Amino acid sequence: MGRDLFFLIPELTLAVTAMVMLVAEMLRLPRLVLTLGLVGLTTATLLTLSVLDANTTVFGGTYRIDMLSGWAKLILLPGTALALLLARAELAGQDREGSVYSLLCLITLGALMLAGSGDMMLLVLGVVLTGLGSFALVTFPRDDAATEAGMKYLVFGSVAGAVMIYGLSFWFGGTGSTLYSELGQLEGRPLIAAAGLVAVIVGLGYKAALVPFHFWAPDAYDGAPVSIAAYLSVITKIAAIFAFAQVLRDLPVSTGWPLAIALVAAATMTLGYVTALVQTNVVRLLAFSSIAQAGYFLLGIVALGVSPLALPAIIVFGAAYVAMNLGAFAVVMIAGRSLDDFAGFGRRRPVIGLAMVVFLLSLTGIPPLFGFVGKLYLFGAAIDAGFLWLVVIAILNSVLALGVYLRIIVAMYSRVEGQANTAPISRPLAVAIAITVIVTLAMGGFAGILPS
Amino acid sequence: MLPLLSIATFLPIAGGLVLMLRRGQSTQAIHAVSIGVTGVTFLLSLAIWAGGIVPGGFAQVEELAWIPAIGASYRLGVDGLNLPLVLLTTVLFFLSAIYSARLKDRAATFVVLMLMLETASLGAFMALDALLFYVFFEVSLVGMYFMIAGWGHEDRQRAALMFFLYTLLGSLPLLLAILGLYLSSGTFDMRVWIDTPPLTGIAAMLALIAMLFTFAIKIPSFPVHTWLPAAHVQAPTVGSVILAGVMLKFGTYGLVRFALQMTPEAFTKAGLVILAFGVFSALYGAFAALAQSDLKKMVAYTSVNHMGYIVMAVAVAALTVDPKMRAVALDGATLQMVSHGLVTGALFFLVGMLYDRTHSREMGDFGGLLGGAPWLGWAFILSAFASLGLPGLAHFPAEFQIFLATLQVQPWAIIAILAIVVTAGLYLRAIARVFLGEANEKWSAMPDLGRREKWVIVPLLVLTILIGIAPATLIDMIHTTMASLSF
Repeated sequence: MGRDLFFLIPELTLAVTAMVMLVAEMLRLPRLVLTLGLVGLTTATLLTLSVLDANTTVFGGTYRIDMLSGWAKLILLPGTALALLLARAELAGQDREGSVYSLLCLITLGALMLAGSGDMMLLVLGVVLTGLGSFALVTFPRDDAATEAGMKYLVFGSVAGAVMIYGLSFWFGGTGSTLYSELGQLEGRPLIAAAGLVAVIVGLGYKAALVPFHFWAPDAYDGAPVSIAAYLSVITKIAAIFAFAQVLRDLPVSTGWPLAIALVAAATMTLGYVTALVQTNVVRLLAFSSIAQAGYFLLGIVALGVSPLALPAIIVFGAAYVAMNLGAFAVVMIAGRSLDDFAGFGRRRPVIGLAMVVFLLSLTGIPPLFGFVGKLYLFGAAIDAGFLWLVVIAILNSVLALGVYLRIIVAMYSRVEGQANTAPISRPLAVAIAITVIVTLAMGGFAGILPS
Repeated sequence: MLPLLSIATFLPIAGGLVLMLRRGQSTQAIHAVSIGVTGVTFLLSLAIWAGGIVPGGFAQVEELAWIPAIGASYRLGVDGLNLPLVLLTTVLFFLSAIYSARLKDRAATFVVLMLMLETASLGAFMALDALLFYVFFEVSLVGMYFMIAGWGHEDRQRAALMFFLYTLLGSLPLLLAILGLYLSSGTFDMRVWIDTPPLTGIAAMLALIAMLFTFAIKIPSFPVHTWLPAAHVQAPTVGSVILAGVMLKFGTYGLVRFALQMTPEAFTKAGLVILAFGVFSALYGAFAALAQSDLKKMVAYTSVNHMGYIVMAVAVAALTVDPKMRAVALDGATLQMVSHGLVTGALFFLVGMLYDRTHSREMGDFGGLLGGAPWLGWAFILSAFASLGLPGLAHFPAEFQIFLATLQVQPWAIIAILAIVVTAGLYLRAIARVFLGEANEKWSAMPDLGRREKWVIVPLLVLTILIGIAPATLIDMIHTTMASLSF
């Protein structure tokens, strides 16, 4: 018991932090809530370092302390801290400001459970915990758009969750256990394996916004405050991808799941970017772009168990994705939601404009930026696993991606006369952009410190 | 022992960073930094030259761990193939820095982009790690995109977009090939891939096709050359010079370094097809250039022609079994890269200088300019003669070797020599219409080249003549490597 709890110290720290934050919110001290959150997240991140090299399970195999869950903490905890800064910049002074911070931390707790889950029950728990908080956050503005987005998100989430639980019951019936580690018993029982697989693809595919379960994402992101959209597009998505990896690496390859995932990946990347190409609302554009990016993650998933590059690929691209996507959303908070707001933006604000160029090129996968290193690992893993055709599709989509992101860049440097809106940028936002841009720029050069 | 290669590679971008951090400098100070940095880089490249090369391998190798988990390292080195290109790069960037010294529109950003392009170019040529090569290769695309989009002519946004999308689509297959080579060897070290080509059979052929796709776009070879005229016409002068003089060489360099050296068997099998593409490109480029009335477009299409000869030479080298002929062909190919950089660089500078004065590039708008602007006129005439392959000027020794080897190995391919006749015709026509004939009153007050412009153009002309009459210095260096190639 004591040993088990020791390995969970980062999660426990986060849980305690979230509770204390709620207390501070009751006292109406939003600044204190924010500070507590940042301190708690930083502490939890540092505490993760002590258990990073562990490779074990706790509580009877239900919770995994391995490379994936360790790096999930190292990625998601700082990512959440950045999201807190973004939320502070956008929502400071508003009613219920502190609740947002504590909800963000609670969702991240659910995200960590997803990433570390070794058991179907924990998977369900993680999906529900991340879901409930997300619905509440999306409806935060209490206007029509947000309510509609929240409703869509909720209904979609409930159905997807129910389908997932139903499908998982097949696996439970087939193996007699809710542990992933028993999934090997499904070897040679294709129907049961397929039923559960479909369920997991629905449940987690919804969470990660994979095609065809992505419809909620653009509406939810657009209805929510930009900082919340940034958070949802990054933290819950990565948690779902990591959960995918935890489940599928125990499922026998003979059930044919890699091909199913590969097809989903191809559809997700292509549809995401094709739709993004015609958006004029930058938040929606980034929403579709993050749908497409989820497809890239799946290139690592299909190689699980075959290529030694698969897990590092998911982790490295996860880290890169957090930095570049949060950064891009942060710039949207300054510039505005419409593509027209970006006209001449790079000339008015050269430094922030340059940062946006870095984020967008990194999202495209241009070296030597961090996003390129992630995609390199992903492509390598997928080729290694024999999915050359999928990599070719991914590569064609990268060209499409450039077309998508260049639309913003071209607008940013177009010649526009008129009002120069150069109000000073709030400090939390500046800090968040500075951190994300440094990570995006520099981690390409220092990719050696990442897992192998 | 100083790591000269790394210093030369990163000095330009370091200068650019200083300019970015110390904003608000006067335009003069910015250009002084730009000229100073590119000048020192040029001197450094001379020092690297003095350091010498070794036969059958790379000299002055510098190595540093980068991503040990996947066997990628920072590795630089020089041999007889990339050292001439390094020298060409530093010369052209130095002269470009001098040429752009009058630029006032967002000068700091322009200079930073130019310096970034120099780092990317030097890095791409000297990289001995495939991943590092790819990084530099792509960074150059980004830099060139912004240079065209920011400082180009009327239709620059569309041209820049087309350039970026086209060449990104072109470079991604190379990434596939690199990953394929990596997965079968466990390292990104190009020396290992050259010494023991890791792929065989159908895998090697697929990798070769991917690489050919990439490099054909970059070179550019028919039928994937269509981005080039658009990009050149819209690009600012310095952009055109760098694009034609330096960045097109990534394609031919890659053709030799990657396609030929890393998948030699597949290359030999595909040799005839590649040769046919080279021959057709050379002819097509010449005829397409003949059809142009826009001077810049004409020069751009002659690039397709000249680069076609290089493709021919590399294919011939792969097809022959005689090591002597192979060396002759590859010597010619490498020298042609340098000559083309110098001569086409000069021509683009001159067309740019003419455009600065007249805001026109249409041949029909001019006439009899030689009388009023003898420096401009004679410089153009000399460069044009060099470009059409006149003996005694830079292209002759290169093309002579290429055709010599072609005649020995695949005599039918010699029909490409027709292109020289066409090129001669089109250059003579351009000279006649622009510089000779009846003087157009409109330009009677047009000033001749100023001091800055002479500083740009005279070194190029001197080098063109030097290579033409005494190519031995350069060829000896190239030959050291080419004669020891074993595949």
